[in-house]
Amino acid sequence: MRTLFAILLLPSLSWGAIDFAKDIRPVLEKKCLSCHNPNLSKGDVSLAEASSVFAAGATLVVPGKALESDLYLMVMPEKPGEKPEMPAKGDPLTRVEAEALRAWIDEGAKWPEGLVLREASKADKTWWAYQPLAKPKHDSIDDYLEDQLKENGLAMNPPADPRTLIRRVTYDLTGLPPTPEEVSAFVRDPDSKAYEKLVDRLLASPGYGERWGRHWLDVVRFGESIGYERNVIIDNLWPFRDYVIRSINEDKPMNQFIREHLAGDVFGKDQPEVEIGSAFLVAGPYDDVGNQDKAQAAQIRANTLDEIISATGEAFLGMTLGCARCHDHKFDPIKQSDYYSLYATFSGIRHGQRVLATAQEKQARAAKVTPLEERKAALETERATLEAAVIARARAKAAEFETHWTRPAVDRTGTEERFTPVTAKFVRLVSEAQDIKLGNAAGFGIDEFEVWSAETEPRNVALAANGGKASGEARKIEDFPNAYGPQHAIDGKTGARFISAGPYLTIELARPTRVDRVIFSSARGEETPQHVKFVFVAEYRIEVSDDGETWREVANGRDRKPANPNHQDLRWRQLETSAEESAKLAALRRELAEVNGELAAIPPLPTVWVGNRNPEDAKGPFHVFIGGSPQRPGETVAPASLSTLGEVVPGYNLPAGAEEATRRLQLAQWIIHPDNPLTLRVLANRVWQNHFGTGIVDTPNDFGYMGGRPVHPEMLDFLAVKLKENGWRLKPLHRMIVLTRAYRQSSGWRGEAAKVDGDSRLLWRFPPRRLSAEEIRDTILSISGRLDPRMGGPGFRLYHFMQDNVCTYEPLSEHGPETWRRSVYHQNARASVVDLMTEFDQPDCAFSTPKRVATTTPLQALTLLNHRFTLDMAGALADRITITAGDDPSAQVIAAFHLAYQRDPDAEELAHSLAALPMTGLRGFCRALLNSSELIHVD
Amino acid sequence: MTPHSFLSRRDFFGNVSTGLMGVGLAHLLGREAAGALSNGSPSTWRPGSGSSHFPAKAKRVLQIFCPGAASHMDLWEHKPMLEKMDGKPMPGEENLVSFQGKNGSLMRSPWPFVPAGQSGRMISSMLPHMGRHVDDIAFFHGMTSKTNTHGPGCVFMNTGHPTEGFPSAGAWTSYALGNLTDNLPTYVAIPDIRGEPPNGKANWSNGFLPAKHQAIVMAAHQPIRNLERPQGISATEELGTRELLGFLNERHAADRAAESDLRARIGAYELAAKMQLSAPEVGNLDSEPEHLHRLYGTDSPNELKAGYARNCLLARRLLERGVRCVNLYCASRASGVDGLLNWDAHKTLKADYERHCPVFDQPTAALLSDLKQRGMMEDTLILWTTEFGRMPTRQEGTAGRDHNPDGFTLWMMGAGVKGGSSYGATDDFGRRAEQNPTTIWEFYATVLHLLGLDFERLSWYHNGLDRRLTDVHGRVIRSVLA
Repeated sequence: MRTLFAILLLPSLSWGAIDFAKDIRPVLEKKCLSCHNPNLSKGDVSLAEASSVFAAGATLVVPGKALESDLYLMVMPEKPGEKPEMPAKGDPLTRVEAEALRAWIDEGAKWPEGLVLREASKADKTWWAYQPLAKPKHDSIDDYLEDQLKENGLAMNPPADPRTLIRRVTYDLTGLPPTPEEVSAFVRDPDSKAYEKLVDRLLASPGYGERWGRHWLDVVRFGESIGYERNVIIDNLWPFRDYVIRSINEDKPMNQFIREHLAGDVFGKDQPEVEIGSAFLVAGPYDDVGNQDKAQAAQIRANTLDEIISATGEAFLGMTLGCARCHDHKFDPIKQSDYYSLYATFSGIRHGQRVLATAQEKQARAAKVTPLEERKAALETERATLEAAVIARARAKAAEFETHWTRPAVDRTGTEERFTPVTAKFVRLVSEAQDIKLGNAAGFGIDEFEVWSAETEPRNVALAANGGKASGEARKIEDFPNAYGPQHAIDGKTGARFISAGPYLTIELARPTRVDRVIFSSARGEETPQHVKFVFVAEYRIEVSDDGETWREVANGRDRKPANPNHQDLRWRQLETSAEESAKLAALRRELAEVNGELAAIPPLPTVWVGNRNPEDAKGPFHVFIGGSPQRPGETVAPASLSTLGEVVPGYNLPAGAEEATRRLQLAQWIIHPDNPLTLRVLANRVWQNHFGTGIVDTPNDFGYMGGRPVHPEMLDFLAVKLKENGWRLKPLHRMIVLTRAYRQSSGWRGEAAKVDGDSRLLWRFPPRRLSAEEIRDTILSISGRLDPRMGGPGFRLYHFMQDNVCTYEPLSEHGPETWRRSVYHQNARASVVDLMTEFDQPDCAFSTPKRVATTTPLQALTLLNHRFTLDMAGALADRITITAGDDPSAQVIAAFHLAYQRDPDAEELAHSLAALPMTGLRGFCRALLNSSELIHVD
Repeated sequence: MTPHSFLSRRDFFGNVSTGLMGVGLAHLLGREAAGALSNGSPSTWRPGSGSSHFPAKAKRVLQIFCPGAASHMDLWEHKPMLEKMDGKPMPGEENLVSFQGKNGSLMRSPWPFVPAGQSGRMISSMLPHMGRHVDDIAFFHGMTSKTNTHGPGCVFMNTGHPTEGFPSAGAWTSYALGNLTDNLPTYVAIPDIRGEPPNGKANWSNGFLPAKHQAIVMAAHQPIRNLERPQGISATEELGTRELLGFLNERHAADRAAESDLRARIGAYELAAKMQLSAPEVGNLDSEPEHLHRLYGTDSPNELKAGYARNCLLARRLLERGVRCVNLYCASRASGVDGLLNWDAHKTLKADYERHCPVFDQPTAALLSDLKQRGMMEDTLILWTTEFGRMPTRQEGTAGRDHNPDGFTLWMMGAGVKGGSSYGATDDFGRRAEQNPTTIWEFYATVLHLLGLDFERLSWYHNGLDRRLTDVHGRVIRSVLA
């Protein structure tokens, strides 16, 4: 403790009786709790409740003696004008606050019974985003915009020309360029409703779902590998992608769509087209590596659930719930207990796959499979009984059998076979059974295999150094082919070993040599040779050959003692089974093979990555994890709605034992409740953003304190109200937006306007944009005439997939015709790099990705110039132009401009292109077009 | 751009370079000379411009990564007590269950430690070449991680977060400081010839930062993708195509003078052309003198060692020519047999490390000597990292060690680092950080400090928070600063 000379000189303010709630609580919550809370307990001090305050050392608060209490002394400057020791961050206490604290301690430091303080978040429940939707004051988007433009002394641009407009709206609604025919028909259409017709056609086209489905897939962090160390590919999540595209094309009400995401498996049981929606829950990354350390395993499980909670909050509510994992949200009124209520809600979810089929399909299959399974079980029982009888007889004769086995068992640290000297060019080890899985000959390891010459000074002639060559089918790793290769067996070193994928290890000697001995091992020099890592041969023979074709046996291990009890069983069965029993067993094997064949012939039901639901995991009780650590359980929680919107949306509180399914269904209902202002606002904002490039709120996943403020709150509410009125369907909203004057105006730049609003957030012009990665690739395919319009089904891959426990994704240097589909059908593995797609900012989707960035880098240039894909497509475009325009260079240039830019070249462009053609050739000309800015830029 | 009441502060300053309007034009064309060390001040720092928050000690970073969790008590931190208590139960943790399961008795390092350098600091006799550098190294012997699992561990070590999706330290540096040369990428990852590390490309990912901040993959065995003019295109055709493209892009941009991204795109094609000339040169190791090849060990009959040695040589050439950050990997992932392809010695520590150490030792030491000899240590920061440590015990029934996130060693050397120092220590056995336990966040706060960056101010808004390399933690460890 320290004494403060200076403060004693300060005159005391006079206080009446201290009101803890009014005078002390706000000070502690605002200035102390952010560090001194139960989660952080900086300096081992928590000021959250009486027990922790008075437990934190005798001198922290000495009731009645403020001048002996550290709490008071530390918030006072040592000398006037100096910064006090506390708070370490933020403003010091005001004099009034400090004096109140002093008075409170002097008066006995009474803490109201049971009161627990919480750090106040920056925003409270009065935050704009949590208020009910406002009643619209206008009925037109343009009216809202123009009000605001006028306030800022601005006005919209004149309308864009029809060519620009059709290009803009076609990309916007379908992600593809309009064809030259579509452009010319639209430009010439005299109908005053030509544009409305165009919009309706585009909204009805399948390309609409492919484009807007892709936006949604970003939001729900859809990825087709699990991420982390193993990053295993997921080959059956594509039905979710198809479901998204289908739902959006059908204009499924978004409240239904969201409900399916959270609980489709609950209310749509046995309806695959509904159940599939709940694959949302498991579409994110997770670590699947097992962990025997319970605390660590619990932490990883908590991370997995956190991923689901965060994605849910961000995608549907624009709430950053993840920030309430370790403590109450610092910025938004989201309690830590809110977070853990959702933890309880999602606790039954496990990543993985299961059968997705209708009840009928399941029954039909069961009807076929069940009798076969029964037959199979009966055959297996029969075989087991027979084998058990053989073993029982053998056991009785164990002593007699022992006499056959005169030599010691094989030894993993070194097994020797001597034989009569023989001249050989080849020596091989033939495995008949390995020593772990006795039914397999393959899979054994050999760290060294020695072949000794029969001479006075014997040499190991197998050694590579002595000219030996080893061969034998080995376990393979594609990107490191020799990892387990046979060369390890003759390198004179132990430690790394040949791991067989077949029964042989063959050594070719430098020249025919008289040999009389081999020594081989899988665990030479190892301290723990019994470990499963050193799997070895149990039954084997050694053979020699002159030509590598005709082999003679020179030794075998049949007279060795069995390597282990399973091996003994195998030997016993071989010795004791009678001819009659052998025949019977063979017959059983045949029958089993038949049954298995029939079973295999019945097509399996589709298995899809929708995750599994485990009621055991959902049992609870669930707690707040203090500091986010499962090792520090705090208060118990039950599945419940978020307190944040408690005054706006009717909430729910489920009993702790509520069914797992009920929890998610309740949450879904709450999220899509018509009074929930967040869900509708967030959705409307996403739609707006994808039309104009930036949302009304420019942080579409975060409508909280840290997010952007709405540029136009009233218009946002208007859009949200419209969305609700339209039955949560998107197409009417799109139509309303793209028919506005704001959308149809030109993108022309005006310096004066830009001075006021440089980013054109107020929409005095249409903001131009670069195409997304998918659009760029789809455009190249489309104008080259190579786009394969097939929708749905398993995705294509622009990488080569390899797996050796963990997975590796190597980008392809050539993209075959099977990949010439729309990019939304690419199987997007996490942490994979696929040239053009990655470089043009396709996100990895480890998180919900609410908006794409558009960067410009030299690598984009290198890829677009030099990847084989560009070259192939430039060739295809050249062919296409030749077909439509013939050999006339002018006609060719014009046709190419029509396809790429939907316009005629001007005189200078034509002249320049014609002058270039002799140098570039038609393909080189097309390659330039495919690299040009105009191709990927929308005005 | 005019700050407007409804624009958030980010629009004004932070994330603007991601927007269509602001795409790195300044970066691509009008970049200030960044070759000199920045003498920046907080008010002049502009992301990617070469300026920093305060004067930097280091302008480039080499991060060596030994994936698989390289064992601290078998390489860097001498534990005499392990030798004394070899074969005895670990006091207080007799029933320890860790990542792969139960642990057995304490296990001494299979190799003796020997004094090295002027200081006589003890280092494993498996690293005789590295021993020459101990007087220049600052060891962090009290490191801790949050996780005992490779996947989360590698991303934690590289991104400051144990979950996926965050930007790597190199990506943060690229964002903060930008490039040192137009001719080469800002950030290069060099994977091992045995393949990618655990989590693959997530280790050098840009995360939610713009794609231009991800590392470009390049290795002696793997040139930069799409660098060369495709086969079948003549020089004349290439020239004609480039000229026509230039004309088209200029025309298009001229009509849209205000769209700075279009100008940037023209700049990007010019930079690409420069890179096409420079990148093959940097990868041409044949131009290095024979004695350097021998020093690094590129002539080794051990193909793994020769492969890594070539990558070390490549790393030096990249740094020398202005690459800002190089991540150099020594070993790769967990194959079906653990410990074979990386430092994950669960069952057969002795055999595994007798394979890995000779691959690592000479080439790494040669790289450090070479950098020193060229004076590059003055402004290059070198980090040695791994995801966590290993247990002092043997894994039950084996002669290997399980994962240990509670204590391990990292080190740094070079620009601004106090050589021959150490910070923190594990207990007598190497089980837990005991003196000055240090987080990965503190390690990176110190790294950023040496780069002239305030770890609390280098941030990027993403889904609700201004995210940082050091999460909401960190502290500069001043005692290792020169």
